[in-house]
Amino acid sequence: MAYERGGESMKRFWTLYKVEQKLGLRCPDMLIFGVGMPVGVLVLIAVVAGNKTAGGSSYTFLQSAFASLMAVGICASAFMGIPLTVADYRDKKILKHFFVTPCTPMTLMSAIVACSVATAVLSGIAVSVVAAFVFQYRMKGSPFLFICSYLLVMTAMYSIGVFLAGLCKSVKMANVITTAVYFPMLFLSGATIPFELFPKGMQTVASVLPLTQGIKLMKQISMGDPVENAAGIIILMIAITVICSLLSKFTFRWE
Amino acid sequence: MLDSYLTGGYTMFPVRRNESMKLCMEVNQLTKSFRGRTVVDHLSFRVKEQEVFGLLGPNGAGKSTTIETVLGLKKADSGTAEVLGCDPVKKRREIFERIGVQLQSSHYQNYIRVGEICEEMSVLYSHPADYHKLLRQFKLEQFEKQPVDKLSGGERQKLSVVLALIPNPELVFLDELTTGLDTEARREVWQTLKALKEKGTTIFLTTHYMEEAESLCDRILLIKDGKKVTQGTVKEVVDDSPFDNLEDAYLWHMRGEERA
Repeated sequence: MAYERGGESMKRFWTLYKVEQKLGLRCPDMLIFGVGMPVGVLVLIAVVAGNKTAGGSSYTFLQSAFASLMAVGICASAFMGIPLTVADYRDKKILKHFFVTPCTPMTLMSAIVACSVATAVLSGIAVSVVAAFVFQYRMKGSPFLFICSYLLVMTAMYSIGVFLAGLCKSVKMANVITTAVYFPMLFLSGATIPFELFPKGMQTVASVLPLTQGIKLMKQISMGDPVENAAGIIILMIAITVICSLLSKFTFRWE
Repeated sequence: MLDSYLTGGYTMFPVRRNESMKLCMEVNQLTKSFRGRTVVDHLSFRVKEQEVFGLLGPNGAGKSTTIETVLGLKKADSGTAEVLGCDPVKKRREIFERIGVQLQSSHYQNYIRVGEICEEMSVLYSHPADYHKLLRQFKLEQFEKQPVDKLSGGERQKLSVVLALIPNPELVFLDELTTGLDTEARREVWQTLKALKEKGTTIFLTTHYMEEAESLCDRILLIKDGKKVTQGTVKEVVDDSPFDNLEDAYLWHMRGEERA
């Protein structure tokens, strides 16, 4: 019986995921922001400054940008994709429609998050393929550890996204909040503009952003450098995940 | 034609007995306010099994809020609501396995197709009806691959009835199902509701069309500003007034205070 119920909820999840994923693909916004943009920025950086060393460090701009651009894929889906989709569903009373069925918030949110994971992974693959095959990027560090750090950062950022989704009562509010969270993180964390180019003072300010720490971790692993304060960053990521997941349990509203 | 709605056995569920009739829904002194405005004001009523119960009132009388508070979507300030013998707030998942709800002016996800929304809703229930059959019964099967956005108003309302029937419900809530439909589409929806009623499904509906209430409802409750105005069978409500039709009787009841 327990197995049967487990099977039923898996079937629920997969069906919701399948339909929501199809809807996501019919609307190109997420592919443009989540996949097109990081690949575009990668091409620009590689063409303009690919082999130059970045701001007095020992690695090239391309090496520096790779990890950051992997993070852009995560952020676009975490900070834009999830909150905007959920706020839109709340505005249109689609969540209300789910409320009057036996669907749990968990099942629905899992399906929406899974769509974002798919976009982020697609973005990661696209960035990797273009970097490796077009610009001969080779990762110095361990790809396995890099994937682990990528998944850790993804989990933390998605829990922030789900938390924001609970907070945004309408699409208007979601637009304001996601813009306020996404763009500073995008520009200040080194995800688009290499962190090394920032003046010292700005680097300090930007270091406060969780994404900056996440990118630092991914970047140093991708370079094969010893990660400074790795334990601290890992604890921070886990703490963000736990806190935001707990908070979103309380902030989730059907309408 | 609508025999698939009832898989049988619905009487096996515990239903509270009261004066030898089975109750499907019992609402006591339900009250809900928003920012100091009382939208539902100490409303009490009972819905019996297998009847069509109509909640009537002008726009803004509190009809939708009543439904949403009864179902636990909005938290009641005071009073109680029981649906199929349970508190919907405490037993949300169990209750919604057994009832179907059509909400006022439903919207659907962008780009979603008719078949996809049916598939999505079906999978949420343990024992859903076959939605292909329902689409066929409502003459919507040719739209299965079409985006919901492309449906006409009538087709869309029929789709929302299909969705409300997917759980094989013992009780359906229909909130202003026919508002905005043309006469023909409205009549068509009525026919489907009558067939549904004949099969023993309990229906709770809200409307501001008197013709609709006259043609469908066994009992009606008139509300104004969230308060009960009068209640009874259509005949009783008409007989209580100096008129011989529900529309005039309705207006007469609604003017109650000015009259006095």
